[in-house]
Amino acid sequence: MAHQAHAYHMVDPSPWPLTGAIAALLMTSGLAIWFHFHSTVLMTLGLILLLLTMYQWWRDIIREGTFQGHHTPPVQKGLRYGMILFITSEVFFFLGFFWAFYHSSLAPTPELGGCWPPTGITPLDPFEVPLLNTAVLLASGVTVTWAHHSIMEGERKQAIQSLTLTILLGLYFTALQATEYYEAPFTIADGVYGSTFFVATGFHGLHVIIGSTFLAVCLLRQVQYHFTSEHHFGFEAAAWYWHFVDVVWLFLYVSIYWWGS
Amino acid sequence: HLQEIEIVCCILTIMAGKNRFASGIPTDDEQATGLEKIVLEASKRGTDPYSILKPQEYAGSKQDPHIVPSITNKRIVGCVCEEDNTAVVWFWLHQGEAQRCPSCGTYYKLVPHELPH
Repeated sequence: MAHQAHAYHMVDPSPWPLTGAIAALLMTSGLAIWFHFHSTVLMTLGLILLLLTMYQWWRDIIREGTFQGHHTPPVQKGLRYGMILFITSEVFFFLGFFWAFYHSSLAPTPELGGCWPPTGITPLDPFEVPLLNTAVLLASGVTVTWAHHSIMEGERKQAIQSLTLTILLGLYFTALQATEYYEAPFTIADGVYGSTFFVATGFHGLHVIIGSTFLAVCLLRQVQYHFTSEHHFGFEAAAWYWHFVDVVWLFLYVSIYWWGS
Repeated sequence: HLQEIEIVCCILTIMAGKNRFASGIPTDDEQATGLEKIVLEASKRGTDPYSILKPQEYAGSKQDPHIVPSITNKRIVGCVCEEDNTAVVWFWLHQGEAQRCPSCGTYYKLVPHELPH
C-alpha cells in the first residue's frame, strides 16, 4: 500500500524546526553577549536565521496546503485548534502585564506619592491620539470583516481593497503610536508607571506589526489566487489574530490610558 | 489620506490582473488539488474513503453486524464489550462470514474499503 488510508498530513522531514531552535539559541545567548561584551554579532545572526526560518517554514506550509492539497478538512480543523491555542497563550502573556499594571496602580506605594498617576508623571490625554488610535483599530476590525465576506462571496476586487485598507489602518496606528512614544513626556525609566506603560503598550505595538505583516502576506496570497471562497484558513487565522490585537488595545486604552490617568 | 489609500487600492487591483474566474475568487471545485480534491469529490459522491466521518452505529446482531471496512482482507478489531471496560478484546477479523467477539458475542463483518489511488 503506497498511500495512506487517513486524511491527515504526515509532513516530510524539514530542517526549519532545527534552524528555528538554533536561531532561538543564538538570539538569547546573543542578548547576553550584547549586555556583557557590547557585541551584537551573535544576536543579529540569530535574528537573520529566525527570519529565514519563518520565511521558509511558512512558504513550505503554503506549498503543502495550497499547491499540493494536503490540507483536508481534518487537517484544517487541527490548524484552527492550533491558532486558537496560540492566541490563548498570547492572551495569558498580556494578562501578566495587566496584572503588573493593576498591582502597582491599585495600591500606589509611598515612593510614588501614594497616588496614581505617580507624582511627577503627566499622563497622555486619553481623548487625543489614543482615542484616534482606538478608532483606527476598530475601523480596521470592520475592514478585515469586510475582506472576509468579500472572499466568501467571491468578490476579488473588494477583497483586495478591504484587505489593503485594513493593512493601511494598521500602519497608520503604528505610525501614530511611534510619534506618541517620541513625544511622550515620560520614559520607560520613569518608575513603575513608565515600566508598565511602555512594556504593555510596547508589546502591543509589536503585535500590531506582526498582525499587519500576517495580513500583508494574506494580501499577496489573495492577489495570487491562493484563497478559494470556501477554503482560506490563512486569512481567517490572520483575521482572528487581528481581532485579538484590537481587543488587547481596548483593554489597554480603558485600563492604562483612561482609568490610569 | 483617503486619496492615497484609493490610489494604492487601484494599483494593487490592476497588478492583480484580469479576473480569471467569474467573480474573481476561485471555488474549491475549481481549484482544490491533491488529497483535498479527492476528499471533496468523494464527499460529493457520498463516500468517505479516508474515514473522516464518525463510524456508523450498528446493533451488532447477526442481522445487523458491525461493519468493519478494510483495505486488505483482514483487520484487527478491539471490542469494548461493555462501556468503560478496561480490558479490550482484540482479535483478527477475516474476510467472509461475520465473526463473533469471543467475550460478548457481538457480530463483526469485514467489508472491502476502496482507497482512491
